[in-house]
Amino acid sequence: MEKRFELNASSEVLSPLRKELRQMLSQTGWEKKTTEEILLAADEALTNIIRHAYQGKPGKIAVSVITADDKIEIVLEDRGIKFDPTQVPSPELPRHKPGGLGIHFIRTIMDQMIYDDQDPEVNRLRLIKHKAKI
Amino acid sequence: MKIQSTNQGDINILELSGELDYHSSPELREKLTELTLKQAPKILVNLGGVDYMDSSGIATFVEAFQKAKRYQGRLILAALTPTVRGVFEIAKLDSIFEITSTVADAVKSLGAKA
Repeated sequence: MEKRFELNASSEVLSPLRKELRQMLSQTGWEKKTTEEILLAADEALTNIIRHAYQGKPGKIAVSVITADDKIEIVLEDRGIKFDPTQVPSPELPRHKPGGLGIHFIRTIMDQMIYDDQDPEVNRLRLIKHKAKI
Repeated sequence: MKIQSTNQGDINILELSGELDYHSSPELREKLTELTLKQAPKILVNLGGVDYMDSSGIATFVEAFQKAKRYQGRLILAALTPTVRGVFEIAKLDSIFEITSTVADAVKSLGAKA
């Protein structure tokens, strides 16, 4: 199953997208705890784009969600300021200052976070998670 | 997200329900800032109705916790749902905050005074 969402770079899009993703993940057999974690990872990536790539200014974000029997891939594309989150160092935990946890959450939850820099005008981030083998 | 403010003796209670994310956290930040600005000595946040929280929510609590600590105030988070507790665990903040299983436990720990 593949679904593509064209979103405005606004915090108002976060909750409706989570609702769509929650439904997709439950239909493809992901357990509730992992579903909520994947939603969190996608949410953090999207929030980073709104806050840092577009810096609160209007812009567009494309989110593609590709589900297979054994994995999910979420691809986020934007045309904001170029930013590679894979280069951000891991924070020392616990952090006693507010902020700086979003990328840590993505790294912890997803199996792979891949930044694709091939298009000079597009940030393309791929988040991949495999289903745990029973 | 909905925020309901009440008092029990000298405890300021914020009861939250809904989803706490980058969109809704500024409203919570405003409420907590009001309390820390007036140096509220005991703040209890009831998270029993919060079914989703992201790092913006965590950042809001870290900020309020640090501010309260500066004037020897206490901030307790109560009744976390498993999803929200999981977020604190990923951030390794579950041992930094005062967290109680129930609101009654938090009230007991804070010791309400009329």
